[in-house]
Amino acid sequence: MRAPRDRSMLAWQLALGAAMLAAWEGGVRAGVFDKFFFSRPSDIASRVAQLFAAGTIWVHLATTLIEAILSFLIGVTLGVAAGFLLARRRFLADLFDPYLRVANSLPRVVLAPIFLLWFGLGIWSKVALGVTVVFFIVFFNTFQGVREVDPVILNNARMLGASEKQLIRHVLIPSALTWIFSSLHISIGFAIIAVVVGEYLGAAKGIGYMISQAEGVFDTTGVFAGMTILAVVVLAVGSLVGNLERRLLRWKPAHSNTREGVS
Amino acid sequence: MPSDIAVRLSGVSKSFPGYTAVSAISLDVPAGKFLSVVGPSGCGKTTLLNMAAGLMPPSEGSIEIFGAPLSGINRRAGYMFQQDSLLPWKTVRDNITLGLQFRGIAPNESAEQAENWIRRVGLDHFSHHYPHQLSGGMRKRVAMAQTWIVDPDIVFMDEPFAALDVHTRLRMETEILNLWAETSKTVMFVTHDLEEAIALSDEVAVLSAGPASRIIGVYPVDLSRPRNLIDIKTDPRFLDLYRTIWTDLKQEVLKSYARTS
Ligand SMILES: Nc1ncnc2c1ncn2[C@@H]1O[C@H](COP(=O)(O)OP(=O)(O)OP(=O)(O)O)[C@@H](O)[C@H]1O
Ligand SMILES: [Mg+2]
Repeated sequence: MRAPRDRSMLAWQLALGAAMLAAWEGGVRAGVFDKFFFSRPSDIASRVAQLFAAGTIWVHLATTLIEAILSFLIGVTLGVAAGFLLARRRFLADLFDPYLRVANSLPRVVLAPIFLLWFGLGIWSKVALGVTVVFFIVFFNTFQGVREVDPVILNNARMLGASEKQLIRHVLIPSALTWIFSSLHISIGFAIIAVVVGEYLGAAKGIGYMISQAEGVFDTTGVFAGMTILAVVVLAVGSLVGNLERRLLRWKPAHSNTREGVS
Repeated sequence: MPSDIAVRLSGVSKSFPGYTAVSAISLDVPAGKFLSVVGPSGCGKTTLLNMAAGLMPPSEGSIEIFGAPLSGINRRAGYMFQQDSLLPWKTVRDNITLGLQFRGIAPNESAEQAENWIRRVGLDHFSHHYPHQLSGGMRKRVAMAQTWIVDPDIVFMDEPFAALDVHTRLRMETEILNLWAETSKTVMFVTHDLEEAIALSDEVAVLSAGPASRIIGVYPVDLSRPRNLIDIKTDPRFLDLYRTIWTDLKQEVLKSYARTS
């Protein structure tokens, strides 16, 4: 449901995109940009079409998606569980605090070579990399979400006779869901980026591998085609999460759950 | 005869870091009675209820509920909070039946009771709405049903009608009095509106201005029941009581003004 103002904005947004593509195409055709380095939108589009027509893309796309979904699921599960545990157990939270900070401050890319050594060239080294990214985002948000529960609502549930288990199920989880969902938007995107970086650094399949192969032979069109497919995948998955969020957060006032796309 | 007194505060004080809210409070709420607590804003009325509900321990003194020392949550009490306390992710109906659900009563078993309460608080057409879709007054009505449906022996109410318009307020006050008359519950009612306190209560306790506020008096209200809340405010006995209590309360309100301005 888009308001009329939103719809006219969408038209403007599409117009801007078309103008940029036209400038790019025209610039290359007129010789302002070097075709070798910049390729052309029309070439990229036909390359994407060709990849799908020939069917060569499917194995790469499937590999990347499976890796991303696995790292997302594992990372979210671990992040939510750890977030709840630490938010409810002060001692554990204080104990782990410095180590979590150190671990989180580490740039993930440097872990990629280690994971390649540990888990090999297959999907698991990429999944491991994705998990390290997703885990921390979800963990910190869950932790915060559980900590920020409105104390009046918590006390009300207590007065109505809730046990600790019922408090978690009826108060803490729903209250933390808003935070968890805002982390899902971000982490699904990062999961895909992480596994693609992993593939780029060493793999035999996947969009990241495709891009690195194309780059190896200076095939700019191939690189851009890979990027285009990746972007569409990230947007599509993001909107799936958005739908799920809207369904589960039905109780929220409308203005706060109509956030779209961009995470 | 321990059970004659529903809530007994003996020498209760509460200090927060750097601030003593209430000090040496001794107050008995007799079982089955309607007692109001009035006092200037910030004097510690909510703090008193929170302690009696077992949500925070007193710094000094002791609390007995029907003769038994209170530790942890007060299981015999329901509490209607001053702030919004509904679960935003549950519908009106699910909020109202929450206490029953916590007691392990399945939704189909509580359906009839839920219907009754939804009707009673006049929200027939809103049972599937979420709290953010209701007005402030409607939310208070849901909170009222939520508290009363579990049939607690004691009900704490913290300025439940402060934000309501005159008509809704009168309606809810009447409803509370009816509910209370039908059951043998003990009510401890906090308000800063002296007229409301006198009109509803058997006894009115007046708190002094903070910090370290004390009870400066407990006034019995000997107006006959059932009361007609519309006419009672012009009853000569009502006006007498009002004048007496207001003379004491006024001093405290003025002190509280002087301190905060
Ligand atoms: N958790 C807390 N920490 C520190 N000070 C507190 C805390 N809770 C209450 N106070 C202080 O104790 C005093 C009494 O607060 P309380 O909420 O009981 O007042 P009240 O009589 O209910 O006021 P109102 O009529 O405005 O609701 C206030 O000065 C408040 O600042
Ligand atoms: Mg208060």
